[in-house]
Amino acid sequence: MPPWWSGDVGVPFRLGPRLLPGRVWTASGCFGYGLSGHDISSPEFGSPFAGLGVVVTKTLTPSPRPGNPMPRLVELPCGALNSIGLENVGLAAFLDETLPRLQELRVPIVVSLAATRPAEFGAMARELQETACNLENWHGVELNLSCPNVAEGGIDFGRDPDTVRACVEAARPHLPDRALLAKLTPNVARIAPLAAAARDGGADGVTAINTVVGLDVDLRTGRPVLPRRCGGYSGSAILPIALAKVDEIVREVGLPVVGVGGIATAADALKFFALGVVAVQVGTAQMSDPFAAARLAAALPPR
Amino acid sequence: MSEGTPAGRRWLTGIVVANAPVSHGMRVIELELPEPVAFLPGQFAMLNLVGREALTFGRPFSILAAEGERVRFLYRIVGRGTALLATSGPGLRLSFFGPLGVPFPPPPADRPVLLLAGGVGLPPLQIWWERHGRSRDRAFFGGRDGADVPWSLIPEAWEVSVEKKDGLPAGREAFSGLVTELCRVRLAAGPSGPYVLYACGPMPMLRDAAALASEQGWPCLVSVEEHMGCGYGVCRGCAVPMAGGGHGLACQDGPVLDAARVDWERFDRSGGAT
Repeated sequence: MPPWWSGDVGVPFRLGPRLLPGRVWTASGCFGYGLSGHDISSPEFGSPFAGLGVVVTKTLTPSPRPGNPMPRLVELPCGALNSIGLENVGLAAFLDETLPRLQELRVPIVVSLAATRPAEFGAMARELQETACNLENWHGVELNLSCPNVAEGGIDFGRDPDTVRACVEAARPHLPDRALLAKLTPNVARIAPLAAAARDGGADGVTAINTVVGLDVDLRTGRPVLPRRCGGYSGSAILPIALAKVDEIVREVGLPVVGVGGIATAADALKFFALGVVAVQVGTAQMSDPFAAARLAAALPPR
Repeated sequence: MSEGTPAGRRWLTGIVVANAPVSHGMRVIELELPEPVAFLPGQFAMLNLVGREALTFGRPFSILAAEGERVRFLYRIVGRGTALLATSGPGLRLSFFGPLGVPFPPPPADRPVLLLAGGVGLPPLQIWWERHGRSRDRAFFGGRDGADVPWSLIPEAWEVSVEKKDGLPAGREAFSGLVTELCRVRLAAGPSGPYVLYACGPMPMLRDAAALASEQGWPCLVSVEEHMGCGYGVCRGCAVPMAGGGHGLACQDGPVLDAARVDWERFDRSGGAT
């Protein structure tokens, strides 16, 4: 462990009005809703949830979405390009069916929400609060303001500081005692204005970064591999991009940052902690290895 | 322990003990795991290199056999992952995540089973045959040519087809054509059914097998190949279009699916693995 490290990722920490259970999380869309994996075990860990602070759920939208046509996922040498298209069961089904099971399993969650208008974010936050306000395992909301795969909202939506602020402002009043995070897109020249907008709207922190817009070409056909041409690039290749964006936010805005982007190992996570993030999320690595976050947390002993 | 109900999905680190060709185009890799694994025919495991060498995603392989701690997989070099697998010599560590997915069920009591295996689609049906095959069940294997067929893995009672007769070893016989054509010829000669059809192989073969079963009004289960990210349902990347809209996941709802539920036209267009 480096000499400057003096943290304990397993100790609860305060984020806005809420005490969050730990600093190693799984990223939205990378560990389902938190229901998968309970029957998976390894000689090292009884469960992939060992040492995990929070599961950020797959993003939920007001109505169910079937997602994009295939192919949706392309592996590239240092990462993956995806165009899943916010496939999800919709908020109502999540509240009725998924949330009670998450409570039974005691999975600590932050719920990821996406919508196409600020008012919808407000309505979703209200619905969540009305249904889940007594659930101890529900810790907060992460507004997905930057999913690049949705034609009607998506990337342009999250690039505008005024819109970011409006979405956060719409959700904030409905979440009096839960952490509110805005997940920001890196696909802008400067990310600090987006983080400042989230702060001004009342966010307790920002999550940075979402995937980087990318495209791959199928040389057999000469056409883009993904039907929608571009997708979201993730994995180890984007780690330096994420670090740069996080650094910009920490230095210029001073809002708590949850770092995400290419984190697979304790060393990767330490780079984010060195820049001052309050927590880290494991994304693509969690997909290929359900124990990635558990292993990372175990490799960061308290000091 | 090579049979029975799997105890649960395990993430293990195995050591390569053998990795050798079994035909001109196919290889078998054998891992020694730290504990025995039980699996059902058609279930698969995700394999990957470990540490810094690990690929972004593991690769799914049907389990060919498991005896105690030893587990074997049949594969063909088709891309970067399988090319790396082919260079994984004895002593190398690989991660094993499995068993995963929905298996082929045991035979129904009321009718015989027709098995159609194509290329590296052999393992699920070979192991099914070993565990469940009855004298009235019939099985066919299709290969590219005589040299591509992994003869040592094909049960004696099976019939083999090849698209080209090149490289056919002395003493071996093979029908010239596609495995579905061989199947149709043999069915015409009787007994003509009714059967239930189980198929595993490349997309065109599965589509043809599904059509054959549909023409006859027989149930048909297919094991689909799709590119996968996670293998356990979280990445949503291995979507298979289903009839009537929507989709299932090859890793979680499959890989063994009811052929009548698959939207073959959309699946074909989306570039389902061939």
